[in-house]
Amino acid sequence: MNKNMKLFAGILVFGSLWGFSECIIGSVLKDTGLPYGSIITGVFVLTFLVLSRIMYRQPGMQLGMGVVAGTLRIFNPFGGCHLCSALAIMAEGAIFEIIWYSFSFDFDNMKNITNQVSMGVITAYLVYVGGYIVTQILTPIVSGVGFYVENLIVFLPRILASGLLPGLIGAFVLPGVLQISRLDLKIKDTLYYPATFGVSAFCWIAVLSLWFMWGA
Amino acid sequence: MGKEKLIPVFAIAVLLIGCFSALYVNAIEVDSKTIEINNTEYTINQIFSLANMRTIITDEGEKTGVALDDLIIKTGSVCSSCNAYTFKSKDGYQQTVTWDYLEKGVLTQENRIYFSDSAHSFWVKDIVEIEVG
Repeated sequence: MNKNMKLFAGILVFGSLWGFSECIIGSVLKDTGLPYGSIITGVFVLTFLVLSRIMYRQPGMQLGMGVVAGTLRIFNPFGGCHLCSALAIMAEGAIFEIIWYSFSFDFDNMKNITNQVSMGVITAYLVYVGGYIVTQILTPIVSGVGFYVENLIVFLPRILASGLLPGLIGAFVLPGVLQISRLDLKIKDTLYYPATFGVSAFCWIAVLSLWFMWGA
Repeated sequence: MGKEKLIPVFAIAVLLIGCFSALYVNAIEVDSKTIEINNTEYTINQIFSLANMRTIITDEGEKTGVALDDLIIKTGSVCSSCNAYTFKSKDGYQQTVTWDYLEKGVLTQENRIYFSDSAHSFWVKDIVEIEVG
């Protein structure tokens, strides 16, 4: 199989699953009053980012996933801040790339459970907090209002505190993802493209159809 | 020290930053039933009796409340050299907008501001202060 095409399909399917979880599952969690942002980042985003990194071992892929997920998030049929969320998601992909830069091909550092838990905490915390900070800077700029640094500084302690829950969730999720990845599940080459494009199409059609019905 | 040994240290540092930030945020949170505008405290009822009402259309439907530009005028907070109006929430969140935004913004009875065509991050809730600068 063409390696680039396979990677593109991987970016599309994992990015679409990420965007779907942000739009649909996130909105359901929000309605139940749960801390949806922390749960989505700590469970879903971390799973998709780490699993795709281990499966494809291709730096840059998670940045592409963030772009796909962020684009899908713009069409969230259940409202919310479309622009800020899309920017935060794209930033999360970029921040993951920076954190995991040195783990691109070598996962030996995460053989023991202490390091797996620690990387779960670090990754989930920094991805969540980093995305939050980036959107606080970029949203006013993209909106044309202008960025006021003092607005960010006074709110920084709350942003840093908000990363605690996703960090703690990540401590449990990352070791679990690593266990799943060790199962060495393989999909037949003949089924790879139908499966990846099928799942991606489902995510986009589900979100866009709800958006046309309720959001547009 | 190898990278392998630094990972848990970074994780503990990250958790400590989160914990201390949470404690700090809890300590400084303001629980005010009034809104300070131009160094004067107003209750939400006083504000609603003071300024004109306005209804705007947002992507979450109609929002009705006190017209923000009229509120600034009626509270005597207008200054010709000012064009930055900062809305501060009780949890420390704050956003700054220009006069153009005030002309299409409202403060609702639920103490939340809305603008007709802005990102939702500008919809500050639980306002405790409006600063003119």
